[in-house]
This record gives sequence, C-alpha cells and structure tokens, in this order.
Amino acid sequence: MNGTVKAPGSMGRERRQAYMLVAPAVLVLVGVAVYPILAAIWLSLHRLILVFGERRWVGLENYGFMLGDARFWNALGNTGYFTLVAVTVELLLALPLALLLNTAFPGRGILRASVLVPWAIPTVVSAKLWAWLFNPDYGLINRLLPGPDINWLGVPGYALHAAILVDVWKTTPFMALLLLAGLQGISEDIYKAARVDGASRWRSFVSMTLPLLKPAILLALLFRTLDAFRVFDAIFVLTEGGPANTTETLSIYAYKTLMRAGNFGYGSTLSVMTFLCVVGLSLVYIRLLGKEGR
Amino acid sequence: MRRPLISVLVLGLVLWTLPGCRRKKEEASVAGGKTPLVFKYQPLGDPVAFRELLADFERKNPDVVLSTEALPNSSDVAHQFFLTSLEGGADDFDVLVVDVVWVPEFAKAGWIADISKAFPPEVLRRDFLSGPVEAVVVDGKTYAVPWYVDVGVLFYRKDLVPRAPRTYAELEQFAREAKAKDPRLQGYVWQGRQYEGLNCNVFEAIWGHGGRVLDEKGRLELDTEQARAGLDYLRGLIASGVSPPGVTSAAEEEARRVFQSGQAVFMRNWPYAWEEAQKPDSPIRGKVGITPLPTVSGEPGWGTLGGWQLAVNAHVSPKRKDAAERLIAHLTSPEANVRMALSYGRNPPRPSVYKDPRLVERVPFIASLLGMVENARPRPVTPYYNLLSDVLQSEFSAAIAGIRPPETALKQAQRQVDHLTGQFE
Amino acid sequence: MKRPGLWLATVAFLTFFLGPFFWQVLTSLWPDGQLTQPLPSSLTFDNYVSVLWGRPFLQVLMNSLLAASLTTLFCMAVGASAAFALAKLEFRGRGLLLAAALAVSMFPPIATVSPLYLILRTVGLRDTLVGLVPPYATFALPLTLWILTSFFRQLPDELYRAARVDGCTPLGAFWRVLLPLAAPGLATTAILVFIFAWNEFLYALTFLSSPEKRTVPVAISLFASEHKEPWGEIAAASVIATLPLVVMTVLFQRRIVSGLTAGAVKE
Repeated sequence: MNGTVKAPGSMGRERRQAYMLVAPAVLVLVGVAVYPILAAIWLSLHRLILVFGERRWVGLENYGFMLGDARFWNALGNTGYFTLVAVTVELLLALPLALLLNTAFPGRGILRASVLVPWAIPTVVSAKLWAWLFNPDYGLINRLLPGPDINWLGVPGYALHAAILVDVWKTTPFMALLLLAGLQGISEDIYKAARVDGASRWRSFVSMTLPLLKPAILLALLFRTLDAFRVFDAIFVLTEGGPANTTETLSIYAYKTLMRAGNFGYGSTLSVMTFLCVVGLSLVYIRLLGKEGR
Repeated sequence: MRRPLISVLVLGLVLWTLPGCRRKKEEASVAGGKTPLVFKYQPLGDPVAFRELLADFERKNPDVVLSTEALPNSSDVAHQFFLTSLEGGADDFDVLVVDVVWVPEFAKAGWIADISKAFPPEVLRRDFLSGPVEAVVVDGKTYAVPWYVDVGVLFYRKDLVPRAPRTYAELEQFAREAKAKDPRLQGYVWQGRQYEGLNCNVFEAIWGHGGRVLDEKGRLELDTEQARAGLDYLRGLIASGVSPPGVTSAAEEEARRVFQSGQAVFMRNWPYAWEEAQKPDSPIRGKVGITPLPTVSGEPGWGTLGGWQLAVNAHVSPKRKDAAERLIAHLTSPEANVRMALSYGRNPPRPSVYKDPRLVERVPFIASLLGMVENARPRPVTPYYNLLSDVLQSEFSAAIAGIRPPETALKQAQRQVDHLTGQFE
Repeated sequence: MKRPGLWLATVAFLTFFLGPFFWQVLTSLWPDGQLTQPLPSSLTFDNYVSVLWGRPFLQVLMNSLLAASLTTLFCMAVGASAAFALAKLEFRGRGLLLAAALAVSMFPPIATVSPLYLILRTVGLRDTLVGLVPPYATFALPLTLWILTSFFRQLPDELYRAARVDGCTPLGAFWRVLLPLAAPGLATTAILVFIFAWNEFLYALTFLSSPEKRTVPVAISLFASEHKEPWGEIAAASVIATLPLVVMTVLFQRRIVSGLTAGAVKE
C-alpha cells in the first residue's frame, strides 16, 4: 500500500486541489492551537506567581529548577509506569475484544453496543463510580473479594493500580474500536486462501492478521499512549495524587501548580515538559508507523 | 437517501443555535440604561429562597438588571475557573464568591477590587466574627465581605458514649469502650485523604496540642514539639485501630456516610452533616451530639474556619462596581444572614445574628454553634498559603498513611516551606 | 475459536464492561439513606424524577447533543477531505502536517485554556455552543485526520486511478468513489469524536457561562452542594446521559459492521 498515486492528469492541478483540501484543517489548527501553545511556552520562561503580582523573564531558570525537583521526577515515574502498564493491558484486552467483535455470532450486536458504555460515561462520573466500588467500608469490590478489606485508594502501591484498572475499563473500548476498524480493512479472501492451505487459526492470526493489523495497532497505541501520559481526570477524582503523591502524575502536578498554587510560570514549564515527553514518545511511534506505511 | 437526512439534521442544528444568539441581543436592548450585573456563585440547594433574596435586591435597585451564573461547588473547580478567566481579564461577571484562603492571592494579583470605602475594615471588625475578617482584610484594606462561615466540629453518638469527650484521651477511651460492646463499630472517622481537608484536620490536631502553625513573624512553623504531637496523635489513631485504615482515603462524604449509617462513634466534619443525620430515614436521627473538637488540655478545641466571601471583579467599570457593592451589602446584611441560615443552613458570619429569635426558634442547631464559630481559626493567613498547602498535603498524607514517621514528614515539609517562602522573599 | 470459548469471552467482556455500569443503574434506583448497605431494601425512581423535572436536564442533554454533533460534523467535513489528500495526493509537507496535527492535540489543555479563553472572547464566541467547536477540534481533528488517513491509505490506489481515468477530478474521485468506501472508517471516527466531545469538561466549564447552555458533564458537576454529594442523582443523570450514545452506536452499527465494500481489492 504505497501512499500516493502518480496522477495521470496534470500534476499542478492535483497539487492545487490537495492544498485546497487540507487548507481548512490547517486553518482551524493554526487558529485555535498555535497561539495558546506559544503562549504557554512563553509563560514557562517567566517567573509568574499570582500571589506576588510579579512577572519577570527568567529564561530557562524554571527548567533548571525542574531538573532538581524531586517531585517532578516522582511524577514522571508515576506517569511512565501508569502509561506503560495501562496501555499494555489495554492492548492485551482490546485485541481479543476486536477479534470477537469482528466474528459473526448472534451476541455481537449487544457486545458492540455495550463495550462503548464505559467510554460513554463522562470520566469524572466514571471515576466517582469506581471510587464507590473501591470504598473500603461499603464498596462492592471489598464485599466480593474474600479476605481482609483492602483500602484501595489509601495505601501506596494499591492506589496507582486502582487508577490503572479504572483507565483500562474506560479506554479499552476506544482501542478495540480502532483495532476493529483495522481488522475490517483486511480482506476475507486471504483467510479463505489460508484455510485452503490448511493453516490453523492461530497460525493465520500470527502470520497474517497481526502483520496486517500492525498499522492499526500502532495507531491505537499512539493515541492511547499520548492520552494515558496526560492522564488527569480519573486519578484526580480517585485520589488527587495521594497518598503522599504516590499517584501524582505530571498532569496533576502541573494542574496543582497552575490552578491551585497560581504559579503560572513553573506550571507552564511542567506542561511544556509533559508536552515534550509526549512528542518524544510519538516520534518513536511515528517512526514505526512510517516504516509500516512505506 | 442518507444525504438529505444529514442535511436536514445540519440545518436543524444550525437553526436551533440561532435563537440563543437572538435572545441575548434582546436582553441587552431591554436593559437599556440599566446596569447589568452578573453574580457568579455556587448552588446553595433548593433555589427558591435564594431567588427571593435576589428579587428583593432587584426591587430595591430598579436600575440594576441582575443575572446569576452558577459554578460547581468544588473549591478546586471554582478556583481554576477564576484563575483562567480573570487572568484573561474577564469582565463578564461582577460579583464573585471566594474561599477564605483565596483573598490575599486574588487581591495581590489585582483581580478583586479594594472595597474599603463601602466596607471599612473597622466596621467589619465590629460586626463580623474575627476569623473571617482576618481572612478578607489584606494590608489594612477590605477585599471581600464574609458571606457564610463553616467550622470543623466533632459529632458523637449520644447513645454510645456517656458524654461528649473533652480530651483526646477521653475520645480514645470512649471509642474503645463502644467498640468493645459492638466490635462492628468504627471508632473515630475523619478526613485523611490527600487534599485540603487533610490540612484542616492536621491543623486542628496541632492546635489541640497547644501548637500554633504561624509564629509571631508570620512564618509557617511546622517542625515543633506540638506539631509532632498532633501528627503523631492522628497517625496513632489509625495504628491503634481507633480510626479505621480507610480514613487515609476519606473526604467529607466518605466519613459522613459511614457515620450516618450508624457504623461510627465519632466523626470530625463540618456542621452540614447535622442536617443529614436528622433526616427521617437516617438511622442515627436523634442520637447525634455536636461538640467542639477535643484537645489535650480539655479546653474547647479550635475548628478550622471555612466558608465563602463575596468580592468584586476588579476589571469592571465604576458604575458596575457600585452596583456590585450594593449587591454585596444586600447579601451580607443581618437579614440575609438569617435567611441563609433558615433556608440553607449556612452559618452567619455576624455573631449578633446567632441571637436572632427566628434563628433560635427555627434552627436552634445553628444558634448553638456560636461558641464554635467564635473559636474558629483560619488556616495560616499568609499570602503564600495556596503555594504551601500543596506541600503540606503531601507530607501530612505521608505521615498519616505511615509512609514516613511524622517527625521526618514535618522536617521535610518545613524544609520545602522555607525553600518556597525564602525563594519568594 | 470454538463456540464455548467465544461465549465465555463474550460473557467475560460483558461482565467487565457492563458490571460497573449496572451497579451505577442500581445506585440510581437506590434510596439515598441506604447507600452504604450491601443491597437496597426497596427501589425508587425519585432520582430520575428529580433529575428530569427538578433540574433542566433535558435542555442540558440537548446542549451536549448539539455541541457534540456540531463538532463531529465539523471534524468529518474538514477532516475527511484533508485525510483523503494526505493519503492519496502528492504534495509537500504531508508528513509535517500529520505530525503537527498530532503535536497540537498533545499539549496539556490545562495550560492552554487561558489563552484560548482570550481568543474566543475576542472573536465573540465565548458563551456559545458553536464556540466550543474550535477548541474541541484541537483534540478531535487530529484524531480524525490520523484515523481517516490510515483508512484512505488502505483503500487500493487502483480505485482512485480508475476514477481519474474515467474523467473525475481528484475531488470528484474523492467524493464519488473513495468517500463512500470509507464509510466504516467515518462511522468509527464519528463515534469516537462524538463521545470525546460529549464528555469534555474543562472547556465547557470555562467557556460557557449561561445556565441554559450547560453541557452534561458541567451540569453533573453542579449537582454537588458545598459538602454533600447526591450520588443517587449523579448516577441517574449519568445513566440518562449514556442513553443517547448507546442509541447512536446502534444507529451506526450497520456502518461499522459493513466493513469494506466487496470488490475493493487488497494489495
């Protein structure tokens, strides 16, 4: 699947039409996104703390402070761990789910409509819903599980994993839907051919489906990784970063610095840093995707 | 076959958005020479009584067209809204609600107007409780007027303990005795989740052990004997089983639901829990007492001061500022205080109102709170509070959850606080 | 996969995804005073009554429906043509555009919400539901571009070439031949974008101020009073808010299911 077509018509006309077609999208993105992002980067080079009413250029000082800020490294570690575990589990669940959704069987319609339910509940509400389920005194999870009651959200170690579970529940459908779209792009014919050749289902999955699905998997991983790395709502509602900052992610740290402490300078620095991390991650994926695309 | 359907949908959507725009314009023209006034507030409950209060204002001020816009009650969300919009120089609302700990911040940022002319500090000092006045007067100028106050108090089960505990030792002893009779009971529930409420609980424990969090020079002092004793006490409650381990993830509602279902002997909370406990379907109806927090010495404890104030957006015109001040005067008048207490259970910031016959007769519970609100202490009144609060929350949480010994947590908190404040001075 | 395995997997997935939701439904029918008990002794529709009649929640639903539909239509309209160009036409800066679109969606919204507020106020779109579309596009449009581009890339080039040989302009080939074939991709993307917009909280809270324009997440956040949280009502509201999405999914089912039209040759 080579990306482009050497057009039979006049090359110039095609190019002109191409620019025309992408122009609206470019205009929108430039219009709403570029200025705010530049403004945030600009702020990150300032010392701007509301309560002092001062605004002063400090260059890269905020970034220097960040490198020595233990809380930043803690948040980065939490974010990385959260992203890695959550996205891996989501992929491992979404893949069989997408295959299931792509199989013709009577229950498929119900399954297809219902997997979207977790994703359709506003995050703030779904996080609260899970906070109820996790409640140490009257939550359903402790009632169903045997053994002593666990204080899911109040004990370091448990809390981050509880948040991962909520994220997995909420966003696996998103990933499954993207993978399903990829699966549907694979023609039935090759399976027929494989069946004629007598290949087992598992073999045809590993040797044909998986390679053909790779672009869709990478795309799904890309969007989920970027989203998971900026996770905010779910964890904020569950724990606000506690206990003792063991569930504090970069976005939560940035939020608290910006919107609670009113430290717009350093808060913007943390946001820009989150952004840079995500850009780095996405470059890796884009490189992988690019290899697939050729 | 599909396209016409979609086109109709699009057209419908577009048409539907238009009336919204038109209505706005009509409104503006009706206003004519009148002053439009927008009040940003948080929902109080059933809106009827509040609408009446506002209608009174409109009757007395026919030159003003008042509209209200609600904000979520979450303090975090409201703070975030104001930071975003006021930093952008928003002038589309005139009167805003502010939390006790925001006033110095907003004043320094130049977002809320100096209203000392309409509300001189000395008049506020004379008429209002000292705690909230301390919070709204910055550098001798008034930036907000107290609207209603809140205070941390102790709830106890009259049917399970002999009397209200006065000291920490009594509280622990009563809790143990009640638990011995009924092992399913929990002793003492409070708020130990990493959030602002945890700070309130910890400050109360430090105050109860005779500590002060601010020294004479206005510097935050945490690495003290009393602070260690306070934090040790809270951690000890969990370690000894007087408080369930779940308090490390509990905020107000988690604690209240346990207490209200009849499963706890004591609860630290805000007075709102009283009204809930007295509802007809409440298992603890009529079995609940309320008392000042205990202390080491047995004198009545100091609850953390909470509550909301009204301020004027500094970006609005003098004409609107004048109307805004009139609205604030109306909403913070003794009469409004009484009505807020009767209809919404909000505690008046004026001590005199607690003796109003209507209050004493119809909401005796609120009238009984006078001693406690007089004793309410503000969280450290320093412009840095919002910066420091975050550091304190995580260190206090570490101590409560048993990650670090209280002593280490306090030392670390002190170091970070000194670093932050030193860096800023 | 054998049949029993298939059923087992289906049941497992359904339990995992719907279990918590059913708990939410149950909670919404649960009398408030009994919420801490293992099971309610009776069920009540009080929460639904107070959400639908005590609060203007239907209006709120319509607002969300409007904002999310407009965003979806806008992103489809702007995104599909751009994605086609990105996938099938040759011009400079394609990779750059895709990467830039992604970068735009990656900035933490909390840091950009203040400048966005300024922009919307300047152009007079603050406090309008239409005004939510451009900020929503910052995350929805890149998603649309990426998914649809990968979708168009999967369509065989022969189709496009054949259309061109038949005398179609590039635009005509896109509109008449490729777009209909991309319907499943469009449907998938539309659902994802719609739900993203439906659930958005930060922008809706900051940019809308009139009570009659509130969206669902903002309205739900207003349920809580100063300390007390009416969990039953919140549960009822979230159940009601989920229904339109379920209906929409069912409506789009056929499109998602249909897969690529037969005859589309895979390279």
